[in-house]
Amino acid sequence: MSRFTRHRKLLLPLGVLMILATVVVSTSFASSKAKVVKVAIMTDCKGGFGFGYEPDIGGAQAALANYAHGKVLDPKKPSAGMTGIRVGSTSVKIVGYGCGDDTVPTAVKETRRLMEQLGADVMIGPLSGGEAVYVANYAKAHPTKTFIIGTAGSQDPTLQIAPKNMFRYHGDGAQWNAGIGEIAYKKLGWRKAAIIMDDYPFGWTSSAGIIADFCAIGGQITKRVYPPLGATDYSSYVQQLPPPNTIDGTFWVVGGTGTSAALTAYEQAYGPLDPKKNIGNLFFAFLGADKVVGPKVVGSYVGGFGTGPGLKSAQAKNYEGIVARWYPGLNAGNYADGFVYNYFNAAWALVIGLTHSNGAVGAALQAGLPRTLKPGYQVSNAGVLKLDSNRQAIQDQYPLQMVKKADGSVGAAIVGFVPNVDQSFGGLFTKSSPPPSRTQPACVKKSLPWQGKIKVVKNGVILPAVIK
Amino acid sequence: MGNVDVRRLIPRLTVGFLVAGVVLYIAVIANPAPAVGGSWRTTTFGSAFHDWHSFMRTLLNGLTFAGLLFIVASGFSLIFGLMRVVNMAHGSFYLLGGYVAYEVQQKMAGSGYTIAGSNINTWEWVLPALVAAAVIGAVGLVVQQVFLRWNQGQELRQALITIAISVIIADQVLAHFNGGLASSVTWPGWTDRLVALPLIGIDYSLARLIVLFLGLMVGLGLWLWLYRTRTGMVIRAGVDDRQMTSALGVNIQLTFAIAFVVGSSLAAFGGVVGASQGAVAPGQDGQWLLNSLVVVIIGGLGSLLGAAAGSLLYGLVFSFSAVYLPTAGNNCCTQYSILFTFILLALVLAFRPQGLFGRFS
Amino acid sequence: MIGDKKAITERTIGMVGLIVALAAPLIFNAYWVDVILTQALIVGITAASLIFLSAYGGLVSLAQTMLMGTAGVMLGNMVVTKGGAGGETQGLNLGWDPTLSLVLALLGTTVLGLLFGALAARSTGIYFLMITLTYSVIGFYFVGQVTLVSGFSGIAGINAYTPSFIGDIANDRNRLYFIALGVAIVVYAAIRFLVRTPFGLALQGLRDEPVRMSSLGFAVPLHRTLAFGFAAFLASLSGVLFVWWQGQIAPGDIGIQSTIDLLVVAVIGGLTRIEGAWVGALAFILINNYVRDSWLTHLLDKVGIGGSFNTIIGLVFLVIVLVSPDGLMGAWDRLWGLGGNGKGEGPSVTSIPAGEKV
Repeated sequence: MSRFTRHRKLLLPLGVLMILATVVVSTSFASSKAKVVKVAIMTDCKGGFGFGYEPDIGGAQAALANYAHGKVLDPKKPSAGMTGIRVGSTSVKIVGYGCGDDTVPTAVKETRRLMEQLGADVMIGPLSGGEAVYVANYAKAHPTKTFIIGTAGSQDPTLQIAPKNMFRYHGDGAQWNAGIGEIAYKKLGWRKAAIIMDDYPFGWTSSAGIIADFCAIGGQITKRVYPPLGATDYSSYVQQLPPPNTIDGTFWVVGGTGTSAALTAYEQAYGPLDPKKNIGNLFFAFLGADKVVGPKVVGSYVGGFGTGPGLKSAQAKNYEGIVARWYPGLNAGNYADGFVYNYFNAAWALVIGLTHSNGAVGAALQAGLPRTLKPGYQVSNAGVLKLDSNRQAIQDQYPLQMVKKADGSVGAAIVGFVPNVDQSFGGLFTKSSPPPSRTQPACVKKSLPWQGKIKVVKNGVILPAVIK
Repeated sequence: MGNVDVRRLIPRLTVGFLVAGVVLYIAVIANPAPAVGGSWRTTTFGSAFHDWHSFMRTLLNGLTFAGLLFIVASGFSLIFGLMRVVNMAHGSFYLLGGYVAYEVQQKMAGSGYTIAGSNINTWEWVLPALVAAAVIGAVGLVVQQVFLRWNQGQELRQALITIAISVIIADQVLAHFNGGLASSVTWPGWTDRLVALPLIGIDYSLARLIVLFLGLMVGLGLWLWLYRTRTGMVIRAGVDDRQMTSALGVNIQLTFAIAFVVGSSLAAFGGVVGASQGAVAPGQDGQWLLNSLVVVIIGGLGSLLGAAAGSLLYGLVFSFSAVYLPTAGNNCCTQYSILFTFILLALVLAFRPQGLFGRFS
Repeated sequence: MIGDKKAITERTIGMVGLIVALAAPLIFNAYWVDVILTQALIVGITAASLIFLSAYGGLVSLAQTMLMGTAGVMLGNMVVTKGGAGGETQGLNLGWDPTLSLVLALLGTTVLGLLFGALAARSTGIYFLMITLTYSVIGFYFVGQVTLVSGFSGIAGINAYTPSFIGDIANDRNRLYFIALGVAIVVYAAIRFLVRTPFGLALQGLRDEPVRMSSLGFAVPLHRTLAFGFAAFLASLSGVLFVWWQGQIAPGDIGIQSTIDLLVVAVIGGLTRIEGAWVGALAFILINNYVRDSWLTHLLDKVGIGGSFNTIIGLVFLVIVLVSPDGLMGAWDRLWGLGGNGKGEGPSVTSIPAGEKV
């Protein structure tokens, strides 16, 4: 065989290597030119929350289009990008979209790629709780960069770690569930309930809100079941739950692919789900679940996501109109999904911050980021959301109920309004209190600031009446 | 010379004692857990003696789960046993199968969300399942002919090729099937009930029993095919001795292709059943590949009986450990059920690395 | 002779590479040195442990990632104090002396490796692969489920507690780079040395003719166990470096995805030559990093396939494996006319030998 024919096989890999080399060389020696604020949007494009990619980016970019003159490149595909973003006279550039997969190692790689390789000054993100814990630790070590959490629901980033350059304009997983326990106690008459939760931090955090809320008013959690995240077969875990005729109700905090499998296992063990005896967290209603499990749980109450789908307020209509204007049909029209809403507010806050800091980043931006915001679904304080001393939002929450819509599909309708829910959950969670886990929080009776103050919501209108 | 090999005997005795101990614990020793607290002697329901119904329910849960495991793993075992291809894209075929069936069922009877059982008749489940199996069978054929046919014997290379393919498929599913959202296929309406089981005394889900039934049918079908048809005979010969079979003039390439198609179709069919039992979603491909590997490792590569034995063992251990591990405190022990299935695996491997029914070829 | 010319060329390239590596902080920017080069060195050490076993022992092990993670988790549990650099991180939070913890982590992982090796020593081929995969999965679930030692979020803040002779590598990344470079060179030299010792030669004999070696009186399982223990030690070195580099360790670092990634690294580099470890690691990291926001994804849309850069990565790996089964080092060997099973240091390990029980 001649040398040439031998070499033929190498042409392809050599070609690939050369392309790579050009890309690499051009970026490895890259240095910054004129002053441009570099923003990275960190979300998931793989794994359990991979479908959140476009909704997250779309939410953030809708805000940038509306408040920062951003030009949408493809209204059907947010990840196609954006140009012409500027705040005042400062140009803003989106340098990259992070692609996590809900695990810490990928979050590490993506964060470093975005912040160090691409040189972003600001990160909007991440999406998931586990990723946010890593990013919070990273933020602590990189004080000149700014981090605005996307939609991560873990508690630690703003309660335990709480770096000065990290901001969250929405509630955490526990806050989202404020009010649902009281609704179970008062409207459904639950006194003893069981809870089944994914055995990982977000499952524990979300459950913490439910347990705290339900136990505070006098309910008792008699059994906690923890299937591993994404278990293939839930039948044996469901079997550990008390049968429906021995208990007042069951709380469900099982997410991702497990929601449908766990509910089906329950139905196959005990018959059709009684909506009066089953309450879920946001995994019943959002993130596409309304289509998958919605039909099974029509009539069930559902913990919120800090958003008010169907809320009839001018502020809400304004928000939804903005998203619809730039990315019509984003997330199948569900603009009230936290994936869209939380990223929107993060990007909007960034624009305000840059306005205050005159385009400066770093400490100036962190000082300039607003400690209040008027996001779509905030109603208390004349619609003004406040950040607490840890730069964590004190947010209105909306417990929901799954209802059948006119076209036969199932959606979530707001049934309650819980004003000003803070991260400490009425003093229960502090920096030194044990973090949510399999057994924490314990079931204790206490008074919460919103106990007895949850307003009734009918047809998207908040009524003065209180839930009895 | 008639002497007992002590080195071999001690591990076997240990395992024997362990198994006997576990069986006794589950059967009679365990006590029901009190409302608060618990100890090493308490389990969620106590022993089988205390609570016969829970025991039977757990047993049936394990058996029905084993049915689904068998459907998926048998395909994997067939492909490996005959072609020595570790098809790392097997989980992706499962995923694709579930999604294809979802799309077909939606076109037949749906409007973009999970369909109520009462709206689905038998044909509206069977046709999506058949279409899914056929489509993924075709995909498998293409993969085998294009990527795997010409590099026989290079197992590691083939494993890596299938890994790359699984990455591509996983990403394409996210792009093209329902936006990567979890999607459910619906069983026919008449399966949505509990049947009273006479001797056992509990009401059990008909849908789960059907899963077990389907697993048995697949097993029967495979057995008939492998042991009563000519193609099957060739496949068994190929599993035993590939070179000899091909040297005897049999069209081994055709046999390989057929086996790969059957294996992929089984994965897809498993995906349809899995999607009916819960939902199908990205991320499950890795999970089901792992499940198939575990079953096939326990049972033995390339053996139908091994796949059945492995599925049974895996399903039962998974089911029982979730319910019969001690409730000895807040952090122990039912959360570790998944760990126990893998400890089982390690034990089998330590003492019988070729699996229960596998053979070194 | 071609062999001599090849050796001389390789040595020259090696020298040049070494000089570039030593001068890297001066040539490349900080991100490159830290994220690309340091990571490539660390991943390369783990891959070298895998390639050592496959090239010289004929055993493809999927447990190296898990062993690497074990060392990291052990170190994390021992050095981190509660409320310290990692905040309210998980783990035992023992707060022991970093030097002692380092030694214990390396020792502990090696002992674990010897144990696992002893259990797996009687199997070869695909069965060995399966056993090591099982170890890997058990390790993943153990670290993920047992919140006492780690849990889902893992242990953070580990690189704030380093032995005094290591110094502050959380902030001085160039320091970490040189430490990793030093360890990588030592590992490479150690492997090259070991395979020429009687033990190494016996190991290669066992790889080729286990039955014969056994009949010659060599204790086959013992040799394999020791080899696995040595590979575990190498993996533990990379595990310690890894947690110093990343600062944290979580179950995702040793999950099935990471295990497969390491296999891809080794195969891309070439399973028959130790140099392939670092070549493969660098190639893998470069591809993963730079294929993302590239024009290739837009090409996908235009062609109508859709999908994201993950499809591109899958395609790139597919092409590499299709074109060169022995990886990049194999391609290099073939360039010099030493194709297939020629005078390479090991067999063309793309086929897994049918398992034999010894």
